[in-house]
Amino acid sequence: MGPMIELPDESPETLLAEFEARGWGDGLPLVAPTDERVEAMLAGTDPDEVIAVLPPRSGRADRRAIATNAVLAGCTPAVFPVVVAAVRALAQPEVNLRGVNATTHPVAPLVIVHGRVAETAGFNSGLGAFGPGNRANAAAGRAVRLVLLHVAGALPGPGDASTQGQPSKYTYCVAENEAASPWGPYPPGADAPAGAVTVHCGENPHNFHDMESDGPERILGKAASLMTTFGANNACIAQGEFFVLLCPEHAHTVAAAGMSRADTAQWLFDHARRPAGEYRAHFDLRAWTVEMEAAADDEPLAPTADPANIKVLVVGGAGKHSCVIPSWGMTTSVTVALDQPAGARP
Amino acid sequence: MTVRIHSPAGSIDRPHTEPAPAPATLEGVSIGILDNTKPNAGVLLGAAADELCRRTGARLVHTDTKNAALPAKDRVLNGMVREVQVVLTGSAD
Repeated sequence: MGPMIELPDESPETLLAEFEARGWGDGLPLVAPTDERVEAMLAGTDPDEVIAVLPPRSGRADRRAIATNAVLAGCTPAVFPVVVAAVRALAQPEVNLRGVNATTHPVAPLVIVHGRVAETAGFNSGLGAFGPGNRANAAAGRAVRLVLLHVAGALPGPGDASTQGQPSKYTYCVAENEAASPWGPYPPGADAPAGAVTVHCGENPHNFHDMESDGPERILGKAASLMTTFGANNACIAQGEFFVLLCPEHAHTVAAAGMSRADTAQWLFDHARRPAGEYRAHFDLRAWTVEMEAAADDEPLAPTADPANIKVLVVGGAGKHSCVIPSWGMTTSVTVALDQPAGARP
Repeated sequence: MTVRIHSPAGSIDRPHTEPAPAPATLEGVSIGILDNTKPNAGVLLGAAADELCRRTGARLVHTDTKNAALPAKDRVLNGMVREVQVVLTGSAD
């Protein structure tokens, strides 16, 4: 049993006041993590199993702590394995969570849910997938943020230096619309039987729309234009990733032209370009490869060094709006399968 | 009726590392600069080091750099430990 807090009652007002006094919470009302609710969230799994140790606080994210935050966020137990997998993913070294939490940039981990769990736990991959309105998306993303606040210590100020913050630091979770994808599930690991979770530490979605094109060039051209904005934090970071989340209609228009997912990423890599001299004119500090630094000023350069850094997925419902989500830069996305821990109740 | 809830903070894996005690005097102390390569960090830290040396008699003996978004490499940290007693570092945007 972990530390317990005694309150005069479990009303929303009392709980919120207690959390405010302790410097906890995200400012919104919370569900009281009573022993009964936390036990239900754990669903028989080992509460003391440490999933990750999270910087900068070196907080031990055991299942009990994650479950407590999942209760606070309003999760159902069906959503809990997604939250656990997201925490596990965030702790992978290539995510660079210390930097993600501490930077002045407004980066937030986007949780992308893949596979069977998206359906069984009620995640929204279709119309309005980024919200609002769906409990699973909203609560899972919020639970991850609460874990970062409470366990990782990413509190605005001492643990999170984000200059302006951003709305996606409240919650940032979406499901991949595999059923509407012409390319099948997003790899790697997304074909795990129970499902999988990708974490991508990035900016808010940069929307683009194309209502009129019947071929890929103008649709993807708009994505390419977003990828070459100088305002994105990864504008001149060679390892920077771009998640290009196409709505089903855009994806099918692109696929109808015979383009695979890899073709689409390659097309974007080939067309999302600016002369190297323009980057140099805007940025004295660049995290470029040797080859990028050697480029002549008039040589067109992609903002990232490798087409594999461009990830193409299908999200959303009817309509012709898609988005690009640039990464913070010094971070790499991670996909992990949902775990099936020994001793879990069916 | 009172109610008991779980703490959301969990436990700490290892204690926070506290900064080393400040030296009683900087006279004759070897200082280093760890430039995190933020814009003008090197200029700011260099000027601070020069002024510190002028006022206290400390000696600037070692300078190195790190990426602001990543932890310092072991080579860099070991160099600081080996060469200096006080490190000036850190600059935001």
